[in-house]
Amino acid sequence: MSEPGGLETLYPFLYAGLAEPDETQLRRSTEDKIAEIGTLRRSLAHLHGERLVACAQAMAAAIDGGARLFTFGNGGSSTDAQDIAQTFANPLAGTRPVAAISLAQDVAVLTALSNDVGYDLVFARQLAALGRRGDIAVGLSTSGGSANVLNALAEARRRGMLTVGLVGYDGGTMARDDLADHLFVVPSTSVHRIQEAQITLYHVLWELTALR
Amino acid sequence: MHESVVTAAFERRVSPGTALSEDADRILHACRDMALRFQQGGKLIVFGNGGSATDAQHVAVEFVHPVIVGKQALPAVSLTNDVALVTGIARTDGLDDIFAAQLRLLAAPDDIAIGISADGVCANVSRGLDTARELGLLTVALTGESERDTPAVDHLLVARSADPLIVKEVHVTIYHLLWELVHVFIEQPDPAAAR
Repeated sequence: MSEPGGLETLYPFLYAGLAEPDETQLRRSTEDKIAEIGTLRRSLAHLHGERLVACAQAMAAAIDGGARLFTFGNGGSSTDAQDIAQTFANPLAGTRPVAAISLAQDVAVLTALSNDVGYDLVFARQLAALGRRGDIAVGLSTSGGSANVLNALAEARRRGMLTVGLVGYDGGTMARDDLADHLFVVPSTSVHRIQEAQITLYHVLWELTALR
Repeated sequence: MHESVVTAAFERRVSPGTALSEDADRILHACRDMALRFQQGGKLIVFGNGGSATDAQHVAVEFVHPVIVGKQALPAVSLTNDVALVTGIARTDGLDDIFAAQLRLLAAPDDIAIGISADGVCANVSRGLDTARELGLLTVALTGESERDTPAVDHLLVARSADPLIVKEVHVTIYHLLWELVHVFIEQPDPAAAR
């Protein structure tokens, strides 16, 4: 997933043919980015508060009914998927662990499916093999356009799983095609800020699910 | 469950997030030194446990596969990916040696080591950073406020929270900034001049 604009947009003073960057300019742009994620993160409480509560209640009910949690994403989002799984499976002291599997971790399965079937189906095929009605599928994509994440959410829904989506920009195809029962759009055009905000969203989701 | 619980969850994150601004200089200095190492041909080696293991992998992919098209791919590896190797070392040498043992094999003096620890200084991260330092690497540690011992590193970046989940959120912003600013310095003819 590429970020539009590039460093020229992020650091215009470096590309204006002016003086070399000094620490003052770089410090200011760094502080601006820290302020930007702070503002974005705060806006999520209002934007997604009700949705987070509803999603946590649905997840808690599913977990009480024996649901397992499946998570998936690409690149940085694959590490977030893995983090969601380990946050639920190996939670902070005093909270109940939940059976959770991150679908981007098994290199044998991932390379076999990529080689034999195609990368667009690496998560959907695993859900077809592992997923049961009532389980939970959480897909992450900053663009909302990752084919393998969209295919997996569609597969999860076909199998009667609860579907949760984390996405950036305007929600992309994931939002347009209504692929998640609980969809959290982070309204930003920066991949970095989207990821940072998504991590807060799933941390709060875990806190609410554990609190129930 | 009331929505005020959600509001409180987000409010708890405001102060640690804002406090990062106080460390802007520390971040800049770390990036300048990292850029010099990359220019000398060094590579980046990243490690951590649990949630921080996923961050180690995120940092590696960030540098190897830049999110901005046209940016130089920089060499970076995470020491948390090979489960056979990690569990093998854990069996023979103990869990505390899983990163140090890999560093002794992979690291060169021009390299950079980033150790990430969100919930107290982990013995294996600490030992990894010590080993990296002995081998001449530039050492960077991302920690939280619950640390009992401060690791002896060239650049210490502390998230101002004792909640490991919030610490992780601040760490992600820190390493996104590290990536961006390393590229800014690398594109300057003389990173050391940007003071």
